[in-house]
Amino acid sequence: MDLTPQPPLSTAVVDTPAALEMAGLSLRLGGTPILRDIDLKLAPGRVLALLGPSGSGKTTLLRLVAGLLVPDAGTIHLAGKLVAAAGHALPPEARGLGMVFQDYALWPHMNVAGNVGFPLEMRRMPAPERAKRVARALDRVGLAAFAERRPSELSGGQQQRVAIARAIVAEPALVLFDEPLSNLDRELRETMVGEIAGLVEELGLTALYVTHDHSEAFSLAHEVAVMEAGQIAQIAAPEDLVADPASVSIARFLRLGALLPVQRGAQGWYLRGGAFLAPPEAAPEKTDTVLLPSRALSVTEPRAGMLTATVTRTLFRGDGHWATLALDGGHDIQLLLPHRPAPGAVLGLQISHGSLRWFPSSPSKRTSP
Amino acid sequence: MRRQGGAPQGLLTALAAVLLTVIVAAPFLFIALQAIFPKIGAGSLAAPFSAMADVLSAGRLPRATLNTLIMGVGTVIVSALIAVPLAAIRALYRLPGAALWDVIFLVPFMIPPYIATLSWVMTGQPRGYLEQLTGQNIAGLLFSVPGIVIILALHCFPVVYFALSRSFAAIGGRFADVSRVFGAGPLRAFLRVTLPLALPGLAASLILVFAMAIEEYGTPAVLGTRIGFRVLVTGIDEAIGDWPVDLPGASTLALVLVAMATAAYLAQRRLLARGGFETTGSRPLQADRRPLGRATLPALLLFGAVALVSTGIPLLAVLATALAKTISGGLAPENLGLQNFTAVLATSTTARSALLTSLGLGLVAALLTGLLGAFAAFVVLRTRARGRFYVDLLAALPNAAPGVVVALGMILLWNQPWWPITPYNTLSILVLAYVLLLLPQPVRYTTAALQQIAPSLDAAARVSGASELTMARRILLPLIGPHLLVAMLLVFVVAARELVASLLILPVGHQTIATFIWRQFDQGSVGLGMAMAFVTICLTTLLPLVVLIAARRTEDIG
Repeated sequence: MDLTPQPPLSTAVVDTPAALEMAGLSLRLGGTPILRDIDLKLAPGRVLALLGPSGSGKTTLLRLVAGLLVPDAGTIHLAGKLVAAAGHALPPEARGLGMVFQDYALWPHMNVAGNVGFPLEMRRMPAPERAKRVARALDRVGLAAFAERRPSELSGGQQQRVAIARAIVAEPALVLFDEPLSNLDRELRETMVGEIAGLVEELGLTALYVTHDHSEAFSLAHEVAVMEAGQIAQIAAPEDLVADPASVSIARFLRLGALLPVQRGAQGWYLRGGAFLAPPEAAPEKTDTVLLPSRALSVTEPRAGMLTATVTRTLFRGDGHWATLALDGGHDIQLLLPHRPAPGAVLGLQISHGSLRWFPSSPSKRTSP
Repeated sequence: MRRQGGAPQGLLTALAAVLLTVIVAAPFLFIALQAIFPKIGAGSLAAPFSAMADVLSAGRLPRATLNTLIMGVGTVIVSALIAVPLAAIRALYRLPGAALWDVIFLVPFMIPPYIATLSWVMTGQPRGYLEQLTGQNIAGLLFSVPGIVIILALHCFPVVYFALSRSFAAIGGRFADVSRVFGAGPLRAFLRVTLPLALPGLAASLILVFAMAIEEYGTPAVLGTRIGFRVLVTGIDEAIGDWPVDLPGASTLALVLVAMATAAYLAQRRLLARGGFETTGSRPLQADRRPLGRATLPALLLFGAVALVSTGIPLLAVLATALAKTISGGLAPENLGLQNFTAVLATSTTARSALLTSLGLGLVAALLTGLLGAFAAFVVLRTRARGRFYVDLLAALPNAAPGVVVALGMILLWNQPWWPITPYNTLSILVLAYVLLLLPQPVRYTTAALQQIAPSLDAAARVSGASELTMARRILLPLIGPHLLVAMLLVFVVAARELVASLLILPVGHQTIATFIWRQFDQGSVGLGMAMAFVTICLTTLLPLVVLIAARRTEDIG
């Protein structure tokens, strides 16, 4: 990415500017670095998810885009316009964004229509036009009948729909979602993911979506940026992220499968102290961890020369039996099996070698047991 | 988190700092200067600390300090003795008429101690109402240190009662029941779980009682002066009011009093900051109250006795005196008449103008204090400019300001000859004093309200396109409105009947409710004074009750 600031007036014909572009963005709070040298670009009409564990800086990044925080270094451009640079920032009200908050942040002293109409009011839209737009936005989230209610009379899911209506009512060029579904229970969350995806597609929204839930990120986003300790660890389409995680920690955070230590042996690569896995050319020299994605394994009758595993315990989970299997060398893996295996039974494991991912030893490795 | 520290925020913080410096800090500064440099009034810094030495060597300061401590600690002990059993019964058992008792115990807290004291004098003095009814008087007990302590405790105990019954109820529901599941009997559950968990709250409310007692003027002035029991507050009053005026001496006593009040305030804040255990859960379970059984009657008798002594007798004595045609006529049907009330409410009497003056002053003080307090709380909580710590400190300073000290500060600051223009000797000096005295109320209420407003509500407004000021006006102000209103009401009620500061800095030719009552008792018609007292009690007790109930209804939006 080009890190030098763009000259504001270029004679060259430029394409539509990115809806959002950050370059070299850094922030320290109380001396602790929260964000380090973030570069990101989001094209109009696209959805980017910021995915990471709590404390990874994803919400802070969102607040920088909103203008609720000011960066220490780096720049933020919205639709080609510089809105933040080191120590300077356009205030949030001047950025023309929509935002959905984790705690809904509905104003309790205004009714639903008052909440949703507020951004239009701030843009000095005349009342009749405003009422029409509010009604349309509420209709889109299925709450047309609730305009006169107080937020406190609504359920959590309804409140979040009001918050979404408020975020989209002014048709902002960019909508920010700050873990909008994390306060809802699982069933409702799944419904809401579908609804948000529908809205995003229908309205052609450009959105930055912060979440710690990877299924949410995968369902909604064209691209997912995985954040770790204030940096972007990998940015890729959801499918590519799952197929090819860039590091052990990303694979672990996304829970893609078992991460096991490997060593070089006579025939090639072996599980440490355990069975043969792959010929030498499967992985580069400095490899020490392998990712065994669940989908790379299939269970068969044990045969000679095959990777075998002993069932140590199983839990029935409704959609199958979640079995913990012990491999030679003291390694454990977990697999979902269609039938309940007998404890102590020995199973054969067939590995689809193309799906294995090999990782080099790295300073940040924390090999799982 | 860092946000835009733009010009408006800096400007707002600076404005709050300047206002609080003039209104709050300057009077305290002048007291300190006067105490250190006794000749500063003459423009000289000569003989620093000499006045302090004088006050100390004359034995006035140690004696008054010790007496103040005796009065404060005594009031704390008696308040606890009254309130703890009542609160435990109220919170843990099914007491008949529980809500009614709560309302009844609000009344003694709403009756200003000087009025309660005067009514007890009418009741207990030789040939007082008690002697007329029973042949006995209690003048010996009344005009004694225990008498002072008991009367103050009868005013202060509701603070402990309400704080404690709330935490007992919450703890009884959440934790004590758990201990009973694990085998503790009811008494053991109370002693091992409920009481220890309620201790921080109990201690905090007792410290508040201590602070109220040591700052009280009316009771020790009426009852203590006659027996030579001088406390810091009455000592300061005499040093200012009696010839020869001793401003350095008054300032020295004031510094000691402020130090004691500050210590009490800090201790209380620390206890409360550690947090009561009763608030641990998001939804405190209501205790399953147990039936009182055979103890119902004794419990009701106890509640009734406390209500009679704290509320009934003072109110009845006030009413009897107000209705008496002549005091010497005593308690007799033919001696009853409404002439005192007509005199209070009739046009062009001193009484009526005092009433109107006080109500007007209370209204202005409530508005200004509310605005200033809300402004200070906003600056402290919602801006990022550096001066907000100074604003925070100044907004908390009046917590340690008894009325008599505020009056002294007003005199020392605004009576300087070099002011080209001064509020001194006008009604506005009273407004300034009331604002300083009562600033903590709106600060406390709006701070609590602002803290409850999630920062994301601000952020949502800003992202929606509202500027900082629009956000404050459209989001914050409506949300803290009901709380601010309650605080202003409290300011109004207290300011309208404030006694000691009003007595000391009253401009010539004016009277307030409290000074009118006080002077009528001293040298005028006691009946007229008590009629005024009765009207005041009605106004300042019923009005807040009505508004509080109304406010509770509007709070439903939260």
